[in-house]
Amino acid sequence: MQVFLQTVIGGVSLGAIYALVALGFSLVYRTMGLVNFAHGNVVTVGAYLASTFYLSTKLPFALAMVAAIVVTGVIGLVIERVLRPLENKDFDLMLIGTIGFGIVLDALIIMIWGATGRAVPSPVPAAPLQLLGLRIRTYDLVVLAIAAVATVLLVLFLQRTKRGAAMQAVAMDHEAATAVGIHVGRSNAIAFMIGAGLAALAGGLVGPLLYVSPALGGTLGIKGFAAAILGGFGNIPGAILGGIAIGILDAYTAGHFQGYSELVTFLVFTVVIMIRPTGIFGERTVNRA
Amino acid sequence: MRYRLALLALALLAVLLWLLPYGLDSYSIHVVNVIIIFAVLAVGLGLAMGIGGQVNLAQVAFFGVGAYATAILTTRSGLGFWFAAVLAVAVTMVVGLLVGLPALRIQSHYLGIVTLGLALAFTNWVTNAQIAGGAEGISAIPVPSLPGVDLSSEYLYYYLELIVFAVGLAFGLFVVRTGLGRRLRAMRDDSLAAGALGADVPALRLTAFLLASIYGGIGGVLYAGVIRYVAPESFNIANMFLLLAMVIIGGRQSLVGCVAGAVALSVLREALVDHPTVAQIAYGAVVVLVVVFAPTGLAGVPVRLRAAIERRRRGGAAAARLQAFQRYDVEPVQPGEQAPVLLRVASVSKHFRGLKALDDVSLTVVTGEIRGVVGPNGSGKTTLFNVISGLYRPTLGRVEFKGEDLTGKPPYRLARAGMSRTFQNLRLFGDLTVRENVLVALDRSRTTESWRYVLRPLSVRRRDQRLRAEADGVLDQYGLTEFAGLPPRSLPYGTQRRVEIARAVAAGPALLLLDEPAAGLNGEEVRQLNEMVHSIRDSGVTVIIIEHNMGLVMTMCEQVTVLASGRIIAEGTPAQVAATPAVIEAYLGDSMSDLPPVPTEVNQ
Repeated sequence: MQVFLQTVIGGVSLGAIYALVALGFSLVYRTMGLVNFAHGNVVTVGAYLASTFYLSTKLPFALAMVAAIVVTGVIGLVIERVLRPLENKDFDLMLIGTIGFGIVLDALIIMIWGATGRAVPSPVPAAPLQLLGLRIRTYDLVVLAIAAVATVLLVLFLQRTKRGAAMQAVAMDHEAATAVGIHVGRSNAIAFMIGAGLAALAGGLVGPLLYVSPALGGTLGIKGFAAAILGGFGNIPGAILGGIAIGILDAYTAGHFQGYSELVTFLVFTVVIMIRPTGIFGERTVNRA
Repeated sequence: MRYRLALLALALLAVLLWLLPYGLDSYSIHVVNVIIIFAVLAVGLGLAMGIGGQVNLAQVAFFGVGAYATAILTTRSGLGFWFAAVLAVAVTMVVGLLVGLPALRIQSHYLGIVTLGLALAFTNWVTNAQIAGGAEGISAIPVPSLPGVDLSSEYLYYYLELIVFAVGLAFGLFVVRTGLGRRLRAMRDDSLAAGALGADVPALRLTAFLLASIYGGIGGVLYAGVIRYVAPESFNIANMFLLLAMVIIGGRQSLVGCVAGAVALSVLREALVDHPTVAQIAYGAVVVLVVVFAPTGLAGVPVRLRAAIERRRRGGAAAARLQAFQRYDVEPVQPGEQAPVLLRVASVSKHFRGLKALDDVSLTVVTGEIRGVVGPNGSGKTTLFNVISGLYRPTLGRVEFKGEDLTGKPPYRLARAGMSRTFQNLRLFGDLTVRENVLVALDRSRTTESWRYVLRPLSVRRRDQRLRAEADGVLDQYGLTEFAGLPPRSLPYGTQRRVEIARAVAAGPALLLLDEPAAGLNGEEVRQLNEMVHSIRDSGVTVIIIEHNMGLVMTMCEQVTVLASGRIIAEGTPAQVAATPAVIEAYLGDSMSDLPPVPTEVNQ
C-alpha cells in the first residue's frame, strides 16, 4: 500500500504537467477541430525560455514563467495565422502543417540553445515533506497548485467572459458562430495563443522535474495528447483526469518496467483507445457519418 | 505518340541511372545509396497516406523493424543474409498489420498519434533490449553475398538497390492504377461511399498499412546491407518527420512525386550537411508552405501548368457536354402479383440517445417495384436508408434482404449482397475521375484477393482492361462519355447527380436506393430522371426512392410509404396516400385538416 501510494504521489505531479499539455491540445481541438502536432515543441520552447529567464537573466521563477508564456503565446498566434487558409477545410493538411512548424521549432531550439540539455534547480527548498510515512516533494505541491489555478482560470474564462463564450460557440458550430457575428479566425487565434501559453506553463514547470533538452517536448507532447484522448478529446475535466491517469501509469510502468516504461505506456494507450475511441468522457464520435 | 515519348524518356532515364556510378566518387555513391533507400520508404508512405489516406507516422518504425530484424537474424542467429532478409520483410509485414489494427477503429489525428506512439515504443524497445544491442546498436552485419558480384562495393550495391527500387516503384504504380489502388483512393476520398459500393473498408485499411510495411521492410533490409550497422537514432521521430516532409513536398498522391520529394530533400540535406539545423528549418518551412499553397506538392506542378496552358489555348470553349441517357435495351419485366419479396424491414427502431428517429417501422418491397418514401423533413427517411444500407445498426428490429437476415452487417457486405445507393448530399470520390468513380462500383474483386498482384499480375491487368471497357459502356449509356476523364467536382450539379446514379447502377444491384435524386435538378433534368429510373427498373432493378418532388413521386412510384416523426403513417398507391387525412395533416399541420383536400394531378 505504502509503495502504491508513493507511486501515485510520484505520478501526480508529472500527471499535472501532462494535464496542462492536454488542456492546450483540447482547447485548440474543441475550438477548431485540429490537433496541433507542434504543441510538444512549443512545450520545449517554453521550458527553454523559462529556464533561460530564470537562470541567465536571473528573473524570479514566477516572472520568468510569465515572460515565457507571453513569448510562446506569440508563437501560437503565428502558427494559427499561417495555417488559417486551411481552417475548416482539410484537416489532414493542417495536421501536416503543424508538423512542419514542429520541425522548424525543433531546429530553432537546437540552433539557439544547442543540442545538449540543462538542469534547472528547484525554486523552492528541496527538503521533502513527510506525511504519514510518505515523502512529498515541496515542488510537486507547487506544480499541483499552479496547475489547479491555471485550470480554474481557464474554465472561468470560457464560461464567464464574452470572449470565452464566443469560443464555445465556435467550438459547437463555426458556421452558426459566423452567422451571429463572431470572428471565427480571431477566436481560433486566441485558442491557439492560450494553448501555446499553457504549453509554456507546462514546459516551465517541468524544468525542475526533468532535464530540459530538445527531446523534452516530444514525449511530453505525445503523452499530453494521449491524456487528452484518454479523457475524451476536447473535454476539460477529462483532460485533467487523463493527464493524472497517464502520469500515474507512467510512474507505475517506470517502477515495474524500468527502461521499457514508454513502450508499455504507449501499448496500454493504444489498447485503451481501440476499446474506447471517444475516451472516458468523450461525447463526440470519431467517425461522423 | 505521347505513350511512345514517355517510353523513350523512361529508357533514357534508365540508361542515365545505369551510367550514374561512373561519374561519382565513393562518398557520393554512398549518398546515392541512402537516397534510394529513402525513396523506397517514401513510396511506401505515399501508398499508405497519399493513396490510402491512412495517417501512418510509424513508417520509420517499419524501416527499423526491417533493418533490425536483418541485423539480429544475421548476427545473432547466424542466418544467411538473403534468408534473413526474406524473414525480416515478413516480420515487418506482421508488425505493419498490428500497427494498422487501430485504423479499424480510429482515423485521422487519432491514428496519427497512435502510430507515432507506437513508433516511439519501437525506439524505446531497441534502445533497451539486449538482443537489439541497446543504444550501441548492432554492428558487423555480414555483406550480402551474390555469386559473381561483390556487394561490399557500394558501386555494385547501387545496382542492386536500383533494381529493387525500380521493381518497387513499378509495383506501386501498378497497384495505384488498377482496382486495388482505385478502391484505396476511393476510401481515402470518402470511406462511407466506398463502403456503400462494396469496398471492404477494414481490409483496405489494413492493406494500406501492409503495403507501407512491405516497403518499410525492404528499405530496412537494403539499409542493413549497405550500412551494415544499425542503431536506434537512425529510426527516431526526426527521421519520421523528414520522411513525411519528403512525401508531402513531393506530393503525397503521386508515387513519382514521393520519389521526387525524397531525392530533392536528400540533396538539400547533403548540400547543407555542415548546417543540419538550417536544413531542418528549410524543409520544415517548405512543408508549411506546400501545405498552404500547393497541397499537391511537386507532383502537382506539371498538372497545374498543363491545365493553365490548356485553358489559355482553348479559352474555355468546347466544354464537355452531357449527352442523353440511353434506355436499357430490355423487355420490361412486369411485376406480377406473386413477385417475390426482396426487402423486408421488420419493426425497425433507431434511437439516437433520447430521439426516436425511427419508431417501429415495417416495410415490404417486392422485386420489380418502384417504391417512393416521402415525409416531411426530419421524419426519418434518410435514417431508414441508412439502416437498410447498413450505415446504422437499428436499435430494434430486423432487415431482411433476399430472404436473408442482414441486420447490422457492414455496408460493404450489403453492397456485395446486391444493394446500392446514392446520397442526399452527393458523395462522389473527389480526386478520382468520373470513369474511376464508375470503375470502383464495377469492380467486385475482394481485397483479400490482392495476392494476385504479386502472383498473377497479368490476369489483374487483363481484368482491369475488361472493366475499363465496361465502364466506358456505362458512361456512354448515361451520356457521360465526354466527362470520363474529369474530376467530378468540376461538373455541373445535375451532371454530378447523374454520375452518382450511374455509379450506383454500375455496381449491378438488385435493389437501388435513391436519396432525393431530384434535389437541385431543373424541370428537364427531372423528366430525364423519371425516364432513367423507369428504364433502370425495367432492366430488373428494384428501386426505393426518397423524394420531396411530389409531382415526380406521383408519376414515378407504384407504391408510396409516408413517414412522419419516425413512424409510417400511410402506405399505398400515390392516389390512396394523397387522400389519407394523416398525410395531409403531417404535411400541412392539423389546423389545416378541416380544409378541403388539395387536388393533385392523380385525383383529377
